[in-house]
Formats: sequence, C-alpha cells, structure tokens
Amino acid sequence: MDKAEAIVAALGGADNIIEIEPCATRLRTEVRDGGAVDDAALKAAGAYGVMRSGTVVQVVVGPEADTLASDIEDILD
Amino acid sequence: MTRVLSPVPGRVVGLAGVPDPVFAQAMVGPGTAVDPARGPGAAAAPVAGTIVKLHPHAYVVVDAEGHGVLVHLGIDTVQLKGAGFELLAAEGDRVEAGQPVVAWDPAAIEAGGRSPVCAVVALDAGADALSGVREDGDVERGAELFAWS
Repeated sequence: MDKAEAIVAALGGADNIIEIEPCATRLRTEVRDGGAVDDAALKAAGAYGVMRSGTVVQVVVGPEADTLASDIEDILD
Repeated sequence: MTRVLSPVPGRVVGLAGVPDPVFAQAMVGPGTAVDPARGPGAAAAPVAGTIVKLHPHAYVVVDAEGHGVLVHLGIDTVQLKGAGFELLAAEGDRVEAGQPVVAWDPAAIEAGGRSPVCAVVALDAGADALSGVREDGDVERGAELFAWS
C-alpha cells in the first residue's frame, strides 16, 4: 500500500471522504464519519500530526501535500 | 551550514507566535516566524537553491546541502486561492538568497481578517539542528533568522 492509499484507508476509506484539498503543509479533508478516521494509522502512514474539528480533519503531511492530494484524487475517482 | 534569511522585513515573533498549531507546535519542523511590515512588498528566498514547491502563499527552497526551507505567507491564506499574491519566479527556478519570489501586501491580508505572519520552517530538521534562532526583535529582509547545521 503506498502513502496515498494508506491515508485513504486511515480516513475511513474512499466512501468516507467528501472532499480533500491540499494546502502548503497539510491535507484539509471533510469526511462523513469522523469516528471512522484512525489518527494512529494516519501517523503510521507518515503524517506529522492530525487536527480535527468535527468532520473536518487536517492531516499534516508537509509540502508534499499537493502531490499526495492528486494521488488521493486518483484513488477517489 | 545553511544560513536562513528573513524573507520579509518585520518583527520576529518565533514559531510559538504563529496562530496555527501546525507551525506553533513545529509539526513540520523547527524555525521561527516574522510579523511582516505592512504595505506592498516582496517575500524573498530564505536560502540560495531551487524552488521545489511554489504556491501563491507558500514556497519551499532547497539548498545545495539538501536543506528545504518553507516560507508560509500568512495563516489560512490558501483560502485566498492566489488573490493578492503575484509570483515573481517559477517552480524549478534556481534563486539566490534574498531574491524576490512572491509579491504581496501583508496589510491587505490583514484587512481580509487573516494573520499575515510568515513562518520560516526548516523542514524535517531536528530541534537541535538549528542554532542562533531569532525569537524577537526587528529584522530587515535578508537578515539571518537561524543557522542550520
């Protein structure tokens, strides 16, 4: 499983992800069920940290956020 | 040893002074931050090297030693989708330290309700890899913020 696949899985799978948007340092995602998000698995996938506010989950991945987001979009399509 | 220079003139506030936990908790690396002087200006390359990432509101320059320095212009500025930022260089360009990379106006960012504070981060550096880190005081653009061994 590559990094993008691992992050999708840790976010509860493709069906749980409503939106994913990269910023310079993080992926900003909106999920259906925040409870399906596994912070430990996100960190195991290489995230530096995870910040949550309800169904909005920010996964801190550093400046590769834009390339990771496009890899994740490919998985979601 | 990489000397990392301030991309903007202003007042150094340290990473702890950035109103965003990713920077304040040094999640992507240690460094410092500068509250920029208000008014039109240009943010400069903090080191000589190659621009490996260039967003309107943030960029990463990697130097010859492989040290990547992130400059992030303001907080939540990704939401502006480039409005108010003008790119003066391109991704992949080689730049000199102090060369202008993005033109912007911190006063306009602030007027839009966002903090214009600029985080300058040593990506993936250990906390003890930096020395002489400025945490306060006024700086000119191009003044040294820290050294990275």
